[in-house]
Amino acid sequence: MTTFRHLTWMLIAAFGLVFSSTQSHAQKRPDADEPGLVADDGYELEPQFKKQVVYYRTTEAPGTIIVVTAERHLYLVQGNGRAIRYGIGVGREGFQWQGLVNITRKAEWPDWTPPPEMIQRQPYLPRFMAGGPGNPLGARAMYLGTTVYRIHGTNRPDTIGTAVSSGCFRLVNADVSDLYERVPVGTKVVIRQKPEL
Amino acid sequence: MMRTFRGGLLIGLAVAVLVAIAAIVYEFYDTRTLKRTVRRGEVLCGVNAGLPGFSIPDDKGNWTGFDVDFCRAVAAAIFNDPKKIKFVPLDASERFTELQKRKVDILSRNSTWSMARETTYDLYFPAVAYYDGQGFMLPGSRKIDSALDLNGSKVCVQSNTTTALNLADYFRANNIKYEEIKLPKLDDVVKSYSEGKCDTLTADVSQLYALRLNMAKPGDHVILPDVISKEPLAPVVRQRDDDWMMIVKWTLYAMINAEELGITSKNVDEALKSKKPDVMRLVGTEGNYGEQLGLPRDWAVRIIRHVGNYGEIYDRNVGSESKLQIPRGLNQLWSAGGIQYAPPIR
Repeated sequence: MTTFRHLTWMLIAAFGLVFSSTQSHAQKRPDADEPGLVADDGYELEPQFKKQVVYYRTTEAPGTIIVVTAERHLYLVQGNGRAIRYGIGVGREGFQWQGLVNITRKAEWPDWTPPPEMIQRQPYLPRFMAGGPGNPLGARAMYLGTTVYRIHGTNRPDTIGTAVSSGCFRLVNADVSDLYERVPVGTKVVIRQKPEL
Repeated sequence: MMRTFRGGLLIGLAVAVLVAIAAIVYEFYDTRTLKRTVRRGEVLCGVNAGLPGFSIPDDKGNWTGFDVDFCRAVAAAIFNDPKKIKFVPLDASERFTELQKRKVDILSRNSTWSMARETTYDLYFPAVAYYDGQGFMLPGSRKIDSALDLNGSKVCVQSNTTTALNLADYFRANNIKYEEIKLPKLDDVVKSYSEGKCDTLTADVSQLYALRLNMAKPGDHVILPDVISKEPLAPVVRQRDDDWMMIVKWTLYAMINAEELGITSKNVDEALKSKKPDVMRLVGTEGNYGEQLGLPRDWAVRIIRHVGNYGEIYDRNVGSESKLQIPRGLNQLWSAGGIQYAPPIR
């Protein structure tokens, strides 16, 4: 009988443990920003998110960036029916946008000053963080028009292919550095969304 | 009295025989596939006996693949049930004649649409389901990303194929020097390549992805994005059977339009509530496009619900969710970098 009671208590305890862990999971930071975490550069992307040259037919000029959020891909148009394709992470539900912008500024190992609206939503974020390997903006950032959005690196390569950001487009550090070398300030960036029903 | 009764019986018998003959004649001469299919209660679909990603049965006889799913979509449109179908495996050599002989209603078997095939066999290819074409596979360590950089390469190719001819044409046209290593069997071509006897292997792109899967280290090989020949793969039907041809053609176009409009098997119920005219016409909440095909109003909804839109079928069978991992390439929608383009439903 005692063993039985013992068991019941153990069960309840186990249940409580599982419950509390799911609770903490539910409270997981919505944009998967983890300031301070150093990027795992050895992280293996899924094949469809690895950088590759693909067939891509477009009327946009070579050098244009086309972001297709539904696909989680960023294309750098090469002309001749070709584009370099990178895997990206995109804005979560409610943080997706489309439009036509230009790259207005480029920065290496950028500092991070989360905009006030982001602080309001996620008060636990730092007000300022100096650039470096633990910075969620990663190795490079390209500023998009006058918006608060950027194409940037990440310290969370596992979020490539997902919709978790606050509207920015993130690439793994190796890819964002590669893209950074290929595009000047002034580059046209087209952001495409999936159609609405 | 007796005599009139017997007379009536004779007349009745004669009428019955005539009706029976008429029915038999009608059965034989009614060549309209749609009517025959509906009466039979299933679609007879001619497929490849085993081509991973396109059509292949498992050990329990369940068929999967891109070509298989296309036939299921046709069955879904007609019967609201993708299982009302029978798959008939056909060899490359017999596929067109078996279709001509009405052994199948439709051929969905990675067949390239060409003029001679339509004219010689009296067949019709309603629309391109998959744009294939010849490409190149090579070790990733060579760091080449264009076929134009293959100057001086040894190329493994299967002899006596259009593949070998295309290779010669393309390299001549682009002034590229190369050395051909021709072998009669595809297996030997692959063997030579994996033994390093040639720098690159050429075959149809869909085939290259399947071959790469069987390499010792698939990740060590890349397939160039260049496509140097036209191999439009399409379903096939008989000529002069327009009702049926229209159903096959618009089944494919419904799937492509659905993808373009963002309608998937998961959100199709939401689409039924949409107020966007393009969406309403496709799902049948506006107009009578289904009726005009001889199908119910919700014909396209049936296709999308049971089988999916074009992108879903592509990804599941040959694309990012499959083992083959073939990029969409030419088969991406026209609005997203490819050439898949469906006329509007209006």
